[in-house]
Amino acid sequence: MSVRNAILGLLADHPRHGYELRAAFEALAGGAALWSVKPAQVYTTLARLEEGGLVAQDSVEQDGGPEKHIYSLTPAGQAELADWFASGVPAEHQRDEFFVKLMLSLSTEVASPYRVLQAQRSKLYQELHDLTTRRNRADPRRELAQIFLLDKSIMHLEADLRWLDLIEARLDDIRRQPLPRPTPRPRGRPKIGIRNSRNEEPGYKANTSP
Amino acid sequence: MSLIAATHLKKVYGVGETAVTALNGVSLQVEPGEFVAIMGPSGCGKSTLLHLLGGLDRPTSGSVMIDGHNLSDLSDAKLTEIRRRRIGFIFQFFNLIPVLNALENAALPITLDGVKPAEAKARAAEWLDKVGLEGRSDHRPDQLSGGQQQRVAVARALVADPALVLADEPTGNLDTHSSEEIAGLLRQVANDWGRAVVIVTHDPRIAAYADRIIFLKDGAVVDETVLEPRGSSNGRNAELAGR
Ligand SMILES: Nc1ncnc2c1ncn2[C@@H]1O[C@H](COP(=O)(O)OP(=O)(O)OP(=O)(O)O)[C@@H](O)[C@H]1O
Ligand SMILES: [Mg+2]
Repeated sequence: MSVRNAILGLLADHPRHGYELRAAFEALAGGAALWSVKPAQVYTTLARLEEGGLVAQDSVEQDGGPEKHIYSLTPAGQAELADWFASGVPAEHQRDEFFVKLMLSLSTEVASPYRVLQAQRSKLYQELHDLTTRRNRADPRRELAQIFLLDKSIMHLEADLRWLDLIEARLDDIRRQPLPRPTPRPRGRPKIGIRNSRNEEPGYKANTSP
Repeated sequence: MSLIAATHLKKVYGVGETAVTALNGVSLQVEPGEFVAIMGPSGCGKSTLLHLLGGLDRPTSGSVMIDGHNLSDLSDAKLTEIRRRRIGFIFQFFNLIPVLNALENAALPITLDGVKPAEAKARAAEWLDKVGLEGRSDHRPDQLSGGQQQRVAVARALVADPALVLADEPTGNLDTHSSEEIAGLLRQVANDWGRAVVIVTHDPRIAAYADRIIFLKDGAVVDETVLEPRGSSNGRNAELAGR
């Protein structure tokens, strides 16, 4: 979604080539190391936008070379972009690989949950150290926006580290509780009218039966 | 040789039924030029450990070597001398003297140690410059921000030219921005000026400035992580993991 909307935004400024869009997006988003997009993704997105009538394509003859494709925003594209600017972006609720790892360490003998926590904490502190070093080296007279992007990551890491401390302090209590299990799904075809869709969805609920 | 070599430190407060074991077998080493952060839940023994390392209190058992001196072997008088000359302390509430200006506060430890006032002030002025307080020498603590007061305290801790600087929650009373400035300064004290620096902190953002973090729980070291400079191949962590 974001790449698609960013393309609309970049084209609102002036018509551009596909490769130019890709480079401009990566620069704005914090650098290719942080958020890189493949050329193919840009072209597929452009093709879809063109299909939907949000962008239009012009071919330009180049003397000698192959013809170039320049994309521009249509009025429908402008309206779509205005909608995007007018609405909020949902917060990222990341699926948490570490959490899954921790839950698995609680249910298997393969790894100690304390070790899993420590390994995660080490990793996050190393990242926090790196980001802090980078942020402190950035020049606030030229790179203020980049500094704020780094600050965002720093604040999130800080929250993650505090969260790990909370888990560590209560890990023994967590261990005493049953692991979340899927609620058994009724076999066969569901009987219409009896099945309560909310309650019988296979869910992420603690199962109190052993 | 390590600047700090603490071995099997145990500290029990009180006796009999009410005895509290604050430290239960802590060993650690710190090298000159190294910045170490100690973290852990409230009551796990962080301040107790710092007090033992600084010779402010004596362990129930175990030993502390600072800069080649075994603190347990020293008389109280000799211990006080080592503390004054080789160890600088920084506190959460700055502990500056309200009626003295920045220069007089920073000069205080060596003034008390008999250095002539003119020389003491010259040395204090040099440190105030280094911690970024040039032009504030004649300000009293109530005329300085919290971050500036803590800088005076850093200058005061360094004025006697100690080998070791200890700080208990040095940023506990500061906002995020001033906290990070003090953390950056302490990193400089260690990495650029060659002192060993050990701080206690609850703040992950401050700990991230350190070269190494030691985690305490219930009076024992439960984990340790080395923060490598960017892009290095995790040599020390690999070594630690192998121990
Ligand atoms: N002088 C004392 N007499 C008796 N018990 C003490 C004394 N000082 C500390 N303790 C106890 O020793 C334990 C460790 O205390 P310490 O002050 O070292 O913890 P801490 O890790 O610094 O905690 P915090 O993060 O809250 O400052 C605690 O249980 C505390 O109550
Ligand atoms: Mg304490």
